[in-house]
Amino acid sequence: MRNFLTFLFISLSFFCLAQDGSLKIVVEPVFDQAPLQLENKAYVDAHGDSLYIDEFKFYLSKLRFHNHEMIWGEQQSYHLVDAGDKSTQTFVIKNIPAGAYYNFTLLIGVDSMANVSGANGGDLDPVKGMYWAWNTGYIMTKLQGRSKVCKTLHHAFEFHIGGYLPPNNAARAVELYTPGLKIEAGKESVLHLKANAAEWFKNPETVDLAKMNEVNMPCKDAMRVADNYADMLSVY
Amino acid sequence: MRWVVYFFLFVLGGMMLAASFGFCPDPDEDIHFVVPPGWPQPHYDFSKNQVTKAGFNLGKRLFFDPVLSRDSSTSCASCHTQFSGFTHVDHSLSHGINGLKGTRNSLTLFNLAWGSSFMWDGGVNNLEVQPLNPITNPVEMDNKLENIVTKLNRSALYRPLFYSAFGDSLVTGQRVLKALAQFMVMLESYNSKYDKYMRHEPGGEMSEAELKGLKLFRQHCSSCHAEPLFTNGSFENNGLTVDTELNDYGRMKISRDPADSLKFKVPSLRNIVNSYPYMHDGRFGTLKQVLEHYTNGIVNSPTLARQLKKRMKLSEEDKNNIIAFLQTLSDKDFLFDGRYRNFGY
Ligand code: HEC
Ligand code: HEC
Repeated sequence: MRNFLTFLFISLSFFCLAQDGSLKIVVEPVFDQAPLQLENKAYVDAHGDSLYIDEFKFYLSKLRFHNHEMIWGEQQSYHLVDAGDKSTQTFVIKNIPAGAYYNFTLLIGVDSMANVSGANGGDLDPVKGMYWAWNTGYIMTKLQGRSKVCKTLHHAFEFHIGGYLPPNNAARAVELYTPGLKIEAGKESVLHLKANAAEWFKNPETVDLAKMNEVNMPCKDAMRVADNYADMLSVY
Repeated sequence: MRWVVYFFLFVLGGMMLAASFGFCPDPDEDIHFVVPPGWPQPHYDFSKNQVTKAGFNLGKRLFFDPVLSRDSSTSCASCHTQFSGFTHVDHSLSHGINGLKGTRNSLTLFNLAWGSSFMWDGGVNNLEVQPLNPITNPVEMDNKLENIVTKLNRSALYRPLFYSAFGDSLVTGQRVLKALAQFMVMLESYNSKYDKYMRHEPGGEMSEAELKGLKLFRQHCSSCHAEPLFTNGSFENNGLTVDTELNDYGRMKISRDPADSLKFKVPSLRNIVNSYPYMHDGRFGTLKQVLEHYTNGIVNSPTLARQLKKRMKLSEEDKNNIIAFLQTLSDKDFLFDGRYRNFGY
């Protein structure tokens, strides 16, 4: 009997292991078509203003994969992507049940749970600098740089977007179609995403940097910027 | 055979030596959180940060260590000293690094596990992340959590302490904050004369003046300064004039709601005679002045608390009795509790 149970246990765990695969997600920061280059390359936004980008960071969270039978979600799913740090642009999600997934949903930003649960670890650790101290909450996304049109110190513009309380919850749900995505048992598949910084400045609202160049607390302006970048991710 | 005995003696000796280093300064003391009888359940989620002796001791060490400030000049204890209920006495506005002045009076630190928001304006929603404010504030510690983590990771002293607290010697921002929180939630004050009176314990015998004061307090003050915590945790405008230099509108800065203009967190009145000066900007030096304010100084404005709209009438004797009662809220067991004392520096 004992032997049989051991056998069952081992074979079951083997069975489970063998049914799972992993997925490497590669996020490439871009500005329109071109790979994003920080600090020394000039870009032109939708309003026609020339600008440089110095910092581009954002959280991706609540990663979920859908097919006709099920939805599989990553636990403790928080990933900080930093255009200035290549190592953050690739991460691996493990133990996904094998199968084809036609749909991938996630949040740009972090959920309210993370915002109220005190000191978190990993990518949510406040050492990452994506945190407001005086008015608790994560800076969900950051885009900052310079443009001659900004009448600010060093012509700087700074978008620090966050806020988890309605009506200014800045997390944005994203749905991406992934018709070719297959997870195979014991193997690592790859999914390539692009994060387009140019989307911050347009659709639905064209940003005029001369008028809006500093957002750094939860507010209406933060919601406008978040609405703009809600479509910055794409699969390629 | 004999070398085996020697070997054992050697190992045993080593272990004793290690133990004496690790736990040396602490007398026999127990570190566990208490919910005093009749009190509500605490708000703090202990399940995600179980208080241990090692975690408490690490938090205490961090609390007293100026390494948290940019130039190693200022510790949490610089502005939060035990004998005053862990606030900054004498200074109306707290002083930090290079003697720079902040814009608000330091708050007392005790019974924090019952708090649901922190700071005078309630901008902080969890005790664990409160320390990020002084750490990063340019006029307080002017540092970055990143720098602290880097420094502590290089410290031969701290790494073993993180190991005993978290089972891993790696210092992370999360662990620094969790350790500080373990120390702070253990700052509990529930043994004042008033508490003993309520529990019918020896030492709880109140004088006639104190009892009259308690009655008046319940009549005029406890709608906001509610027992047993002596705060109801809400934000109210208690009729102070706006300081035109600081222009601090309190809660409105966080909620951005004009209805919150001039509202500040109702502070606890435990250990109040020890934690002068009073109010968010420390404008009053004595409790007499505070009572003078509540009777004659209330400024009317659209957000003034309903309870204070009608003039509060108190005779001189009433005021003295209220002050006599407030004195019974001092908790010597807490103010002189050896567990909170700092031995390392
Ligand atoms: C320069 C003085 C100063 C230093 C240093 C300082 N504090 Fe404070 N502390 C204050 C002031 C002032 C407030 C009130 C701030 C406000 O409401 O804006 C405060 C508030 C707090 C509160 C909120 C209490 C409540 O009931 O809302 C906590 C908790 C706290 N401090 C913990 C700490 C810790 C931990 C450290 C060290 C990392 C620290 N403080 C360092 C001055 C200081
Ligand atoms: C409507 C609610 C309310 C009532 C009623 C009230 N208070 Fe207060 N009290 C507050 C608030 C809010 C503050 C903080 C105000 C600030 O700093 O801006 C405060 C501050 C204080 C302080 C200063 C505490 C500190 O740590 O700085 C004392 C002392 C005090 N009250 C005593 C009393 C007494 C005594 C009474 C009754 C006579 C009373 N209060 C009635 C709301 C109230």
